[in-house]
Amino acid sequence: MSIIDELDPDELDPDELALADEHVITPTEAAEAAAWRPSPGGVAARIVVLVGLLLLVVAIPQIVPDIYTNVVSKAAIFGLVALSLNVIIGYTGQISLGHNAFVGVGAFGAGYALTKMDLPYAGALVVAALTGVVGALLIGVIALRLAGLYLALVTIAYAFLAQEVLFNLRSLTGGGAGQPAPRPSVFSSDVSYAYFCIAVLGVALAFDWRLTASKGGRAIQALRDDERVAASWGINVTSFKLLAFVISGIMAGIAGALFAGIEQLASRQDFPFLPLALTFLVMTVVGGAGNRWGVMQGGILFAILPTLLDRAHESFHFFPFTSVQVTWEPAIGALLLLLTLIFSPGGIAQQQRHLLNWLSFKRFNEPSHGGGISRGGMGARP
Amino acid sequence: MPAPKDHRKLGEPPLLEAHDVSIRFGGVQALSEVAFAVHESEIVGILGPNGAGKTTFFNCVSGFYAPNEGRIELHGEDVTALRPDERAQRGLGRTFQQVGLVKSFTVLENLIVAQHKSVKYGVLSGMFGMPWTLREERVLREKAMVVLDFMGLMAVKDAPVQGLPYGTLKMCETAAVIATDPEILMLDEPLAGTGPEEGEAFCQRLKDMRRDLGISIVMIEHHVPLVLGTADYIYVLNFGALLAQGRPAAIRKNEAVAVAYMGEGATALA
Repeated sequence: MSIIDELDPDELDPDELALADEHVITPTEAAEAAAWRPSPGGVAARIVVLVGLLLLVVAIPQIVPDIYTNVVSKAAIFGLVALSLNVIIGYTGQISLGHNAFVGVGAFGAGYALTKMDLPYAGALVVAALTGVVGALLIGVIALRLAGLYLALVTIAYAFLAQEVLFNLRSLTGGGAGQPAPRPSVFSSDVSYAYFCIAVLGVALAFDWRLTASKGGRAIQALRDDERVAASWGINVTSFKLLAFVISGIMAGIAGALFAGIEQLASRQDFPFLPLALTFLVMTVVGGAGNRWGVMQGGILFAILPTLLDRAHESFHFFPFTSVQVTWEPAIGALLLLLTLIFSPGGIAQQQRHLLNWLSFKRFNEPSHGGGISRGGMGARP
Repeated sequence: MPAPKDHRKLGEPPLLEAHDVSIRFGGVQALSEVAFAVHESEIVGILGPNGAGKTTFFNCVSGFYAPNEGRIELHGEDVTALRPDERAQRGLGRTFQQVGLVKSFTVLENLIVAQHKSVKYGVLSGMFGMPWTLREERVLREKAMVVLDFMGLMAVKDAPVQGLPYGTLKMCETAAVIATDPEILMLDEPLAGTGPEEGEAFCQRLKDMRRDLGISIVMIEHHVPLVLGTADYIYVLNFGALLAQGRPAAIRKNEAVAVAYMGEGATALA
């Protein structure tokens, strides 16, 4: 229920609606903002910065020390997982606590396809994506009947099903030894594999962009806000909800295949429900559900966090770093989650909104709502 | 200008017909044997005091409630078992008493989503950003602008839905349903939250729409004089049953209707 539903129309006062947000954008402001175009100098400055960022991304696998090259791959893969989870949390307004299962099944699927079925790498990616589709349909069909907490419980059930049953199928996972998952021959070195992962992330970002700007993504977001309204506009609620889960499953499955390629081995210790499923959820929310740039950064942050903590522990020999252990990661995640929920529900994306505005050729000080909740974020519905 | 053809008088088959629709919620008989028909390019008004079952009836017709008895026919096809979105695909558009808009979108974005069923490209080609989808996206945008212009909403087109006043939201909602390109437009209290002058202008717009687009309009509205002045045919509901039906002139003089609205002793509306 939103504020609009609860109030009697006769008593409704626009200022009262403003309580939900820090600032209500007036139509005039909105029209002004839409008509605003940067000056030629502004365009040039933005292009320079964008190209600089792009070059930075291209340079990163080269400039990080060799031992951290795989962390770069992991960061790109976590970014992809965050995009995948964003389709469910941000666009559909549902929840998944079973993404470790999606990613894990994708990893084992790819490994199995590569070593047992001798498929080419592209074929293994397709198999990984298909495992995502199957899992997503399974969860999606249930999601049609349940929402909120109940759906969360079902996704946990899927996570445990995967952890306790699927990951223990010796033929699929190779048991304790794990399932070998060689990299594609062109990208066999660590650096080239990092480039490969970054490229896949780039493709996923482009795909996500077109999704939200076209029929399917709009329908999904419409039914997040109100299924009845969506249906009254001719949107098939069932199929589009399932579509959202399937898209998310495909992304997660491919992320799993890429993840297996880091160590060239998928083993069941890599995909535990705790803490992985929760890390995935936290990084999406902290990144800013509903915003692809935000969740991607959330994913990257949580991918490199253990390495950062580890490094701080090794390099600094004074308090508090002496007591920092890798196991602090969950605590930091929880703290970030709390800070996000209290101070900026739109997550990293909300913190960066001015920057993101500027980079998307809008005004730096674009008038905006209070963040993710109101604009393409998590619905406040139960 | 010739008077619009009166399809009801000509005895043509109706576009939308409800046959003896009844629905119970627990022990409450919310609707009993309500029959109703909408003809081509006709404006039909539904009147009735609060709790008469008007919105329930709308929900039965548009597919959000499944009636216990009776059936709904659209173009002579029995649609009683169809989902709301399937009925929308067949040309039935409706608004909601609470504002039926996507709250996290801007007004313009809402009108673009609302055109969902007329989008020709497939979901997949949209996701892969095929060039023809980009072209059609531009067309959708232009169409949305035409509707916004027609409804006089250009000033708020870029505004987020959250934060707009209630009356404006109701207008935006109507605009969104028009953007779905319906043959039958069902409006649930479109004038709630708007002033009297806006009401006049809105009803004139409905008449223009009927004339220019040839669509039929069904309207629930509490503003009785406006409905009497706009509609071609009126159904009056009371306690879930049809109290009266007829031309506005007849309804105006109907004693039972006057009693239902204004209490014992009244003899005529307005």
